[in-house]
Amino acid sequence: MPQLNTTVWPTIIMSMLLALFLLMQLKTLNTHYHPPASPKLTNIKPHNNPWEHKWTKIYSLHSLPPQF
Amino acid sequence: MNENLFTSFATPTILGLPAAVPIILFPSLLIPTSKYLINNRLITTQQWLIQLTLKQMMTMHNTKGRTWSLMLISLITFIATTNLLGLLPHSFTPTTQLSMNLAMAIPLWAGTVATGFRLKAKNTLAHLLPQGTPTPLIPMLIIIETISLFIQPVALAVRLTANITAGHLLMHLIGAATMALSTISLPATPIIFTVLTLLTTLEIAVALIQAYVFTLLVSLYLHDNT
Repeated sequence: MPQLNTTVWPTIIMSMLLALFLLMQLKTLNTHYHPPASPKLTNIKPHNNPWEHKWTKIYSLHSLPPQF
Repeated sequence: MNENLFTSFATPTILGLPAAVPIILFPSLLIPTSKYLINNRLITTQQWLIQLTLKQMMTMHNTKGRTWSLMLISLITFIATTNLLGLLPHSFTPTTQLSMNLAMAIPLWAGTVATGFRLKAKNTLAHLLPQGTPTPLIPMLIIIETISLFIQPVALAVRLTANITAGHLLMHLIGAATMALSTISLPATPIIFTVLTLLTTLEIAVALIQAYVFTLLVSLYLHDNT
């Protein structure tokens, strides 16, 4: 049985460690598994405005001199 | 055909350099990665297969066990691709190497046992004694169960090695017989060639089944310990 020749064991084991525990895992990890697309109800979700509906402060224009 | 039957299992060298290193690293090149939503057929099939396998294997686990999904998926992919590539003629199969299988089995088994001792030490120790054992048998059974625990990684590695080696030997023998028969008796050749074809089909199945069995057993040890 040539499998029992222990001189090549370190080579085989080191390359296996590299292949299985590093390369394979990185390959599997670097693939994005997107969930299947499903229709979303757009009208129910609250709309997030980038502006405020109600102003609590009154800002002066930049062109005016600053008022403290 | 005077060559030794086991020559195909010796690690190959090219110009004195070990060729086993690129051979072992090669299967990972065949796994494409993609970050896109829509992919080609190869990547779609691969992703579908990986997700199917993942669902099949990981549904039995709890949250702690599911942290091993990446490891188990990489393991089954690695063993399956290595086994299948090894079935190509004139190629070297790294999974016939006992060293590699031991180096795969021992850390994974040790990882499951360590997880078991860390998460639920009492339950793990309780596995060393089956319920309802008569009192005089208890010391004996604890020794036996401890041995059976420590033999698990060796059994895993030897199972994979023996299965793949036996399959390759059988194909080698029947292939040689087909060649020899073709010069002796022409009518018998198609019959043995059919046998060879069927055996090759079986070996393709065995390559996948052994990858599944190895991963399933690691997953089972993990299930016992989480």
